[in-house]
Amino acid sequence: MDPTQATREVFWNIEYTWLVYVLMVPTLAIFGWGFWLKIRRWRAGQPAVRFDRLGERLQLFLRNAVGQGRTIRSRYAGVFHTLVYTGFIVLFLATTVVAIHHDTPLHIMKGHFYLVFQSLIVDVFGLFVLVGVALAAIRRWISKPNLLVYTDEASWILVTIFVMALTGFMVEGWRIAVTDDPWAAWSPIGNVFALASDPLMSDAAMQTGHVVIWWFHLVVAFGFIAWVPFSKMSHVFTAPLNIFTANLDGYGGSLKTIDFETAERFGINHLGDFTWKDLLDFDACTECGRCTDVCPANTVGKSLSPRDIILDLQGLMHRQGDQFLLNGNGNGNGSGANASDELLPIIDQKTAVSPEALFACTTCAACMEACPVHIEQMPKIVDARRYLVMEEADFPEGMMDMMNSLESRQHPFAGTQFSRVDWTEGLDIDVMAEMDDPHEAEVLMWVGCGGALVERNRNTVRATAKLLRKAGVKFAILGREESCTGDPARRVGNEFLFEMLAKGNVETMQRYGVRKVVTSCPHCFNSFRNEYPHFGGSYEVYHHTQFLDQLLESGRLDGHGAADSSSGSSTITFHDPCYLGRHNGEYEAPRNLLAKVGGARQVEMERSRNTSFCCGGGGGMAFVDEPPDQRVNQERAQEAVDTGADVVAVGCPFCATMLDDGVNARRGDREVKVRDVAELLWDAVGDSDQTVP
Amino acid sequence: MKLLVCLKQILDPDVPARDFQIDPAVKAARRGGANLVTNIFCENAVETALQFREAAGGDVKITALCYGESSAEDCLRKAMAMTVDEACLVERDGNTNPDAAAVGRVLAAAIRRLEQDGGPFDAVLVGRESGDWGVGQTGGLLAEELGRPALGFVESLQPGNGGVTLRRQTDVGIEVAEAEPPFLVTITNNEDNVPRIPKTRDVMMSYRKPLQKLSLADLELDSEEIRAGSSIFEVEEIFIPTDEVECELAEGDTLEERVDQLAKRIHEVVASIG
Repeated sequence: MDPTQATREVFWNIEYTWLVYVLMVPTLAIFGWGFWLKIRRWRAGQPAVRFDRLGERLQLFLRNAVGQGRTIRSRYAGVFHTLVYTGFIVLFLATTVVAIHHDTPLHIMKGHFYLVFQSLIVDVFGLFVLVGVALAAIRRWISKPNLLVYTDEASWILVTIFVMALTGFMVEGWRIAVTDDPWAAWSPIGNVFALASDPLMSDAAMQTGHVVIWWFHLVVAFGFIAWVPFSKMSHVFTAPLNIFTANLDGYGGSLKTIDFETAERFGINHLGDFTWKDLLDFDACTECGRCTDVCPANTVGKSLSPRDIILDLQGLMHRQGDQFLLNGNGNGNGSGANASDELLPIIDQKTAVSPEALFACTTCAACMEACPVHIEQMPKIVDARRYLVMEEADFPEGMMDMMNSLESRQHPFAGTQFSRVDWTEGLDIDVMAEMDDPHEAEVLMWVGCGGALVERNRNTVRATAKLLRKAGVKFAILGREESCTGDPARRVGNEFLFEMLAKGNVETMQRYGVRKVVTSCPHCFNSFRNEYPHFGGSYEVYHHTQFLDQLLESGRLDGHGAADSSSGSSTITFHDPCYLGRHNGEYEAPRNLLAKVGGARQVEMERSRNTSFCCGGGGGMAFVDEPPDQRVNQERAQEAVDTGADVVAVGCPFCATMLDDGVNARRGDREVKVRDVAELLWDAVGDSDQTVP
Repeated sequence: MKLLVCLKQILDPDVPARDFQIDPAVKAARRGGANLVTNIFCENAVETALQFREAAGGDVKITALCYGESSAEDCLRKAMAMTVDEACLVERDGNTNPDAAAVGRVLAAAIRRLEQDGGPFDAVLVGRESGDWGVGQTGGLLAEELGRPALGFVESLQPGNGGVTLRRQTDVGIEVAEAEPPFLVTITNNEDNVPRIPKTRDVMMSYRKPLQKLSLADLELDSEEIRAGSSIFEVEEIFIPTDEVECELAEGDTLEERVDQLAKRIHEVVASIG
């Protein structure tokens, strides 16, 4: 037996092989037609630039599509998906090898390549598929976690793939048995079938069985291929495309701006107003449910489910079909508002896209971080909120008070007992308007409404100011000229109000030639970093933890203060603010600072860093009264308390107030304090005669 | 039908206590860093008028009128964003603290001018009182100037049989009245006339709606006379009351000692007050 001569006969035992090619024509035609329908639908969307920065896109594609970077974050699903995914790739390659060998003059399916790849490797990966599908089936039919959507389609997909792999091994096994294949040992799984069948069946029976099952295998496989574009199996193509065209600017920069001069509608209530990428998102969903699984609103029992929002919109898009194409104002050529009004609204009390669900979102972007295929759920929720707020003036009462206050007082805290400068009492802090030369200030300390106007946070901004002063940083504040950055208005959906506030702030900062900004509010930080550049305001922006970390690193801030470091003996857990962590990728700076809090031990909550769980205050939710049994802050506070830490460190004024309330409700008899990183740092390194009051 | 709603711009009543200061010379609050807002009862009046128009099915024109500084244009724009049809600002002439009678005369003159141009107003709606001075007389004095019957503390207007059905709050409950235009009502708040948040499109459209500006001279009013006021009362002095609290702790090692000490101090304090 010469291994270099090893091969097998293609189409052994099969007659009418021309029929394979005949059947392939309608299969590929239906497959192509199905995807053409999809592409046509996506093209009806509004423009979006998602084929720029090809290098970065390719990297992301390799990491998260080819490399399954996000899929494998979930252990169980990651394992079975990888088994099936790699199995599919190898079996597809094997089929291609057969086609090349049989239909071209290149007879490559022989020798060691035949034995090692086409026999052994293919058999092993075929087994992977069987095992992977079995694991998926156990989850879907036995353990039944909540995050899945239980459709017949999903079950049929598992059955079909299993049948394809199994029948593949059957025909291989019977061929081996009947032909007494000398290379049988190289196909271990097929050989097991051969050995098992041999004593039970005659050669003739196996030969007949082979013909029947061979054609059955072919029909199932072709049927499956034709079915792909019409089922969630289309993710095999839509998911990689969606990853390639993902938003590269981070979640903090994922909201669109609106041109109020030309927009026919503000916000979105019709599919035709989404961009083509939004529409692609709907078709890329694999129903894995990870978004809903991590959603804070959903976790505490609210009706918001990002998964169902995407799936309901996908369903609406498929149902509306051609009507959506004819009437949508896609490509800007449609007949506008009137035509689109005939379409079904996307916001519908009876679906997952209900006003109640939309207004439960904290815009924390946990859904987007969890999505293996980079679907952008949160911006769509904000798009729909924009429609409700700006076109319908329909939103929860707390948000109304907040917006009223923003309009008339430029801060969201109606009824605050403080002015923007009260916190500076006794600190003698420079206010830009009162300085002879505001350019002397090296950095603008942006205080933020949450820092200046909420009692418990005034200590944080005092500590920050004192640390800056201790490091010799020449800084100044805007004082009464500071306005809300507009973040709460923007997240709630009042883009108009946000734009007004943003333009006002940009103008003020321009007047003083501000170039560098440090702020203790991650929401302000995000606005400056990702949103103000659209309104002509580009600054070097730092969260106070980043700035202080740099000061310590460079030695400008002396880390060996004489202050009381009694807090140093404690255990600290850090709560990552969504708008610092997930939205802007900063996880280290606050932890570095906490490491400086003498002797303190840091423990991590189970959900931390990029999987951090929102405090419940983002997206304007800090201004809404949550039902007592559906409070996101208490869910998070419980997790913090459960770490055994006696200090919950925060880096955001909204997190501070939300977690203060939550911790007080959940700490029981234990003494657990919520403190900003700056407060803790001042306690550790500040001057002893100047401890924060 | 034609409705007219009077608006007043006031200092934000939510101004933090520390920011609230008084200018003794003018005998009025200093603006300081505080914002100017529309008086809440005036916004309730706008909302009430809008709800009347919605109930009447459309054929109702609403005009907003304000006597104030040029900054009061914001209040009128906001009213138009809430979908009031047109607005008129009578610009104040250096007189920072006009009394209710003077305001009544100015508003009456402006209303007569508007009526000359566009026909009579069936109903005039005025906020119950303002959030700054809280005098609550402008409505009544304006009705007197206009020679119209007036009803106070009205919370809703509904189209009735040939007239208007009014609901008003009284000490003993809700009174329902039928009124024949023309009349004047002062509006109070209830849970149904919370001012609506304007739709963004309406906010943008409000800048395209007509806003007429009149001066006291246009109304043939003598600004000196208005400034002098004609009330039966005069503000002599205004000040922020101060509460000085002295706190002392009852000392003692045991509870009994502390209670004894507390009782002793109470006796002393009572004796000193005499």
